[in-house]
Amino acid sequence: MKIIVLNCGSSSIKYQLFDMPSRKVLVKGLVDKVGLKGSSIKHSRNDGKEVKLEGEILDHQTGIEYLLGILTSEKYGCIKSLNEIDAVGHRVVHAGEKFGGSVNITNAVVEALEECIDLAPLHNPPNLEGIYAITKLLPQVPQVGVFDTAFHQTMPDFVYLYGIPYSLYEKYKIRRYGFHGSSHKFVSKRACEFLNLDINKQRIITCHLGNGASIAAIQNGKSFDTSMGMTPIEGLIMGTRSGDLDIGALFHIINKEEIDIATANTLINKHSGILGISGVSSDMRDVEAAAGEGNVRAEIALKMYRYRIRKYIGAYAAAMKGVDVVVFTGGVGENDWVTRAEVLDGLDFMGIKVDKSINKELRGEDALISPPDAKVKVVIIPTNEELVIAQDAYDIVNGNFVN
Amino acid sequence: MSKSIQNKGTLQKIGVIGCGTMGEEITRVVSQSGIDVIFLEINQGKVEEALKSISCHLDKMINKWGLTASEKKLILSRIKGTTSYSDLKDCDIVIETIDSKKKGTSIEIRKEIFQKLEEEVKENTVITSNTSTLTISDLASVLKHPERAVGLHFLAPASKVKIVEVVKGVQTCDEAYEMVNKFARMIGKKVININESPGNISTRLIVTLINEACEILMEGVGSVEAIDETMKLGFGLQFGPLEMADRIGLDKLLKWMDNLYAEFGEKQFKASPIIKRLVRANQVGRRVGKGFYNYEGGKAIGQTVTCTEFN
Repeated sequence: MKIIVLNCGSSSIKYQLFDMPSRKVLVKGLVDKVGLKGSSIKHSRNDGKEVKLEGEILDHQTGIEYLLGILTSEKYGCIKSLNEIDAVGHRVVHAGEKFGGSVNITNAVVEALEECIDLAPLHNPPNLEGIYAITKLLPQVPQVGVFDTAFHQTMPDFVYLYGIPYSLYEKYKIRRYGFHGSSHKFVSKRACEFLNLDINKQRIITCHLGNGASIAAIQNGKSFDTSMGMTPIEGLIMGTRSGDLDIGALFHIINKEEIDIATANTLINKHSGILGISGVSSDMRDVEAAAGEGNVRAEIALKMYRYRIRKYIGAYAAAMKGVDVVVFTGGVGENDWVTRAEVLDGLDFMGIKVDKSINKELRGEDALISPPDAKVKVVIIPTNEELVIAQDAYDIVNGNFVN
Repeated sequence: MSKSIQNKGTLQKIGVIGCGTMGEEITRVVSQSGIDVIFLEINQGKVEEALKSISCHLDKMINKWGLTASEKKLILSRIKGTTSYSDLKDCDIVIETIDSKKKGTSIEIRKEIFQKLEEEVKENTVITSNTSTLTISDLASVLKHPERAVGLHFLAPASKVKIVEVVKGVQTCDEAYEMVNKFARMIGKKVININESPGNISTRLIVTLINEACEILMEGVGSVEAIDETMKLGFGLQFGPLEMADRIGLDKLLKWMDNLYAEFGEKQFKASPIIKRLVRANQVGRRVGKGFYNYEGGKAIGQTVTCTEFN
């Protein structure tokens, strides 16, 4: 069975073609600068053959038309006809309270997602564009929506509500939703498989540390709490996002800098985080290099970044009345051993220990980095959100989907 | 099922004629909305000046947290300047926005531009003017295809004001009108639909308010500050009428009033002697640092006109 996985951003389309159930990636690529000058498609096949095409791609539909063209092309493609495509899985950022799991996309689902645009005005519209385009171009092919928020729908009300008038939740659904759901779900499940543990009896803390970053408390396989809130701003310090911030401070900034709400939004989304503190870059590697050369602000940025993660690990261990497994994933989580070491340093009191020499080795694969006698298992699990989408699409199309 | 798809892909390039304060604002807003824009100026020097000024403005936005450096690059990459009408030929919409502050009538200049433009652009290019007190029908009268002309009135500053007035002239066709409506929505504006009348809604009402404020001042009823405070705090306006006059520029205001008075012949459009007097002294407002108020660094620091002067 062949399944296309699409991740449509505001000006980009990431795609992969999976063979299922073998989980093999046949081709993958990126349509970049959709609707902008200098648009292009970078496409690579699993035999290493690559191509980059440049041309005008005015909207998502055109981009998807082109990528379907390449999939079926003799030189770079891997299928003879579009009839070979059995399903398309879409990443959709925000499903509000509407969906607690992946779903087969019907007109009613599309309408429900259109109602969620308010909650994610930047992300949901391009995700929907991808769905509209496939509906038009491949009308016979079933489509599946996999939502960033769905996994966290199991959070109890006293966790997801904010300390503001309840009527605002009733009127506008203001609450914590959480994001990176596919990733938290995937790595928690994978960690238990890897460690040969029953996920239904574990208290797991998953740290997804990429350019965006969030952390989740997963109890018995269900998300109990997570650091991102109604929007992806809350929680950990990220590349350019502030994470947790006193709202009173933001009001003060708005007054002092004489800026409007939209600008304040840009301030905490794009000028803050590691970039804003260090003044160097939003990329951890650059900031680490700068700190190594004695840049004081870069050093502070790294300390803050790591401290925030550590604080959440403590909080979530308390929230679940203990912790059995800690998982690191995402670009930083998988590759930055110093961050892992510093985040977990001195947590022996709660049973967390790290084998320093194993931690330092980079593998790019599942790995246990705690010593065998440690009470808490600490693991690195490379995330694979695309695979989650392909798997869910495969299961839904075959009627085997279990949330 | 898709509302957004239908609104996408058809508007790709916008032309702007005249890159003064308003032209520059419009150019920036259009590019920030992801649409290519080309502006026309009378010489290369002015083109460079405008590009530099746009870049400066974007830098200010970065410093005030509204933009990132890479977004600035992207915005600038969509903006081109030219001195040749033929470069506007593939524009979907062209917006004429020449400086209307100068004395004398600008209607002939605008008509000339419309004619030159029509010779160069493709047959379905919509031609618009940012004028509010001249009518689009009058400007369109020189076109071979007057049905392609639409009034498109931005209020200053175009990047901040949330509305635009889209004006249907006598001969404006539905397709052209709908295209401009769509464009206005694409750049994030709320469209105010207007059936052609000089001054539309915005200019006609603000001009009347300012003129009456001048009458009050002249009669010695209250000071400049008293008038502005009353309207600001009493009615929740962002600016008082006289401060607003300074922001618009008294020369421009006088121009508008002359046009409206010529059209309607009503007393409320007859410019107050105070306005005329200040314009004669080139005390035309915030732009020159002096109008009803003195300005330092763009901020009002005390009134210049007292009511007793006119008693």
